[in-house]
Amino acid sequence: MATAVAAIARPIQFEQASLWSDAWRRLRRNRLALVATIYLAVLVAVALVSTVWTPYRMSAIGVTQTYAPPSAAHLLGADELGRDILSRLMVGAQVSIVVGVGTQVLVLIVGVPIGLLAGYYKGWLDSVISFVINVFYGIPDILVAMILVFLLGPSLRNIIISIVVTRWMDMARLVRGQALSLREREFVEAGRAAGARPVKMLFGHILPNALGPIIVQATFGIPAAILFEAFLSFLGVGVQPPTPSWGSMANEGVASIQYAPHMVIAPSIALSLTLMAFNFLGDGLRDALDPRTRR
Amino acid sequence: MTDGGIVRAVDGVSFDLYPGESLGIVGESGSGKSMTALSILRLIPEPGRIVSGQVLFHDHDLLQLTGEEIREIRGRDIAMIFQDPQSSLNPVLRTGFQVDEAMLAHGKSKVEARERTLELLKRVRIPAPQSRYRDFPHQLSGGMRQRAMIAMGLANAPAILIADEPTTALDVTVQAQILELLADLNRELGTAIVMITHNMGVVAGLCTRVLVMYAGEIVEQGPVEQIFENPQHPYTWSLLRSIPRVDALRHERLRSIEGIAPDLLRPPSGCRFHPRCPFRIEKCFTDEPRLESVGADQKAACWVTMDRARSEMGADKLVDIRPGAASGVHPGEML
Repeated sequence: MATAVAAIARPIQFEQASLWSDAWRRLRRNRLALVATIYLAVLVAVALVSTVWTPYRMSAIGVTQTYAPPSAAHLLGADELGRDILSRLMVGAQVSIVVGVGTQVLVLIVGVPIGLLAGYYKGWLDSVISFVINVFYGIPDILVAMILVFLLGPSLRNIIISIVVTRWMDMARLVRGQALSLREREFVEAGRAAGARPVKMLFGHILPNALGPIIVQATFGIPAAILFEAFLSFLGVGVQPPTPSWGSMANEGVASIQYAPHMVIAPSIALSLTLMAFNFLGDGLRDALDPRTRR
Repeated sequence: MTDGGIVRAVDGVSFDLYPGESLGIVGESGSGKSMTALSILRLIPEPGRIVSGQVLFHDHDLLQLTGEEIREIRGRDIAMIFQDPQSSLNPVLRTGFQVDEAMLAHGKSKVEARERTLELLKRVRIPAPQSRYRDFPHQLSGGMRQRAMIAMGLANAPAILIADEPTTALDVTVQAQILELLADLNRELGTAIVMITHNMGVVAGLCTRVLVMYAGEIVEQGPVEQIFENPQHPYTWSLLRSIPRVDALRHERLRSIEGIAPDLLRPPSGCRFHPRCPFRIEKCFTDEPRLESVGADQKAACWVTMDRARSEMGADKLVDIRPGAASGVHPGEML
């Protein structure tokens, strides 16, 4: 009874809730997603801070003993050249974030329009696009990415490009599926009957309705790209020294895992936490943006 | 076209629409009324297509226009409103903005559009247009949503407004309000209205002229009073007889038209209505009747017509046309 009264007493507030504020409210209720969001905010802050300040210069050699274990002066110890690992980890966060976000921005730019076109127009265009997508799914992504980086030269930009080349299809396929189902909705017919331009139909009507799944997909795409970059760097074709990447730092540490395990552990934990955070956030967003799980 | 073959959903339909007129197109589900309307704006859903024909609007054949030209016509000269206002509005965009868009698509500026939207929302009697403008469709009632759709349809002051069963998804009192609104707009703005419906009552209340469609063809057309007073096609006659009446005798059963609408993959030979027609003659099985004049401005496609059915077959005495019921017209013959 009390709840019923409460619901009647504040109907205005509920009605004012827009799609996004509603989603935000539900996201905040998801503890794991909230913790993940906070972690990621801290990570971004650390990456930003590291552009102007790190405890030690990340490329300064011999600030302490080589392979120094964690101590008060060097919280995470030092590597084989005596560089401060914490400082390098902080700079490495920049790389991870730039790669993760950068690839997904490009994936959105490439995948969304392609998916929209294929799903909305169907017919031969869809057949061609779907074929191309399947071809890209067929190629071994690590191999192709490595070859691309070899060809283009190992820079951050080229790593991003090669990840996009091998990973844009999930987004295109998702958007295609959304467009395929949304185009049959009556408001699309109504829009066409009102004389809306095709571009307007695609980006003004279909895209906003598919935004939820797209955001979730992009959120899951970020950790995948970060992992991919770490993997490339671990194999030595990633970000080049002296710029540290979590992947290359782990690689450097592997050789000395017997007597200086902290060199592998520190970047690995940073990587794992970040991947987990993005995945929890993605899960939370999926629940929050899906109207069927409205609570 | 379907997997099972080609369906001629609309065949040989031809009609005129005059400025400021309100024309009703009636028929049961699947009779091709919606397809007729959609083909005017070339909005036939895939895999359907218009095989042949003409749609003349101000002496231009709409079927010959380029994609961009027909887009310009849609919403500006000929607008359309749909059956279900719930699904015809984009759920993630603000209602007022969607009305704006109808004008933005045809070259109005944002400010102009916004101003006119508020005017239109007032015009279609949406209370508090300022705040409704900012509402999302799910925050409006069904009737209000349909009003917003009508506002959208009227946004560019079109010459023709095609309404495809605009009241079917609404409850009865709201239906009446919407019809009244459409009648007012038709009278005051001079917008010609094409009202597609299966409801004879809607036609009677709003339209001046009516087309009756059956199985993809026009079976009868003429002024509304005439058609209601003196229907000449047995299908029209049956439709009118099947309207529930408040003043009907208590024990009288609701009359229906026996049989089901034909499968258009295999339309019946001769007159398409003959399997369900209580007055059919030999000729109906083999020859297809054409629309012929049966009165002033009234045409029907029937070999018998009701005048003859009345004088020769005792149509007025026909109480129940169900097979097996004592109709006396076709004793013992099952459909």
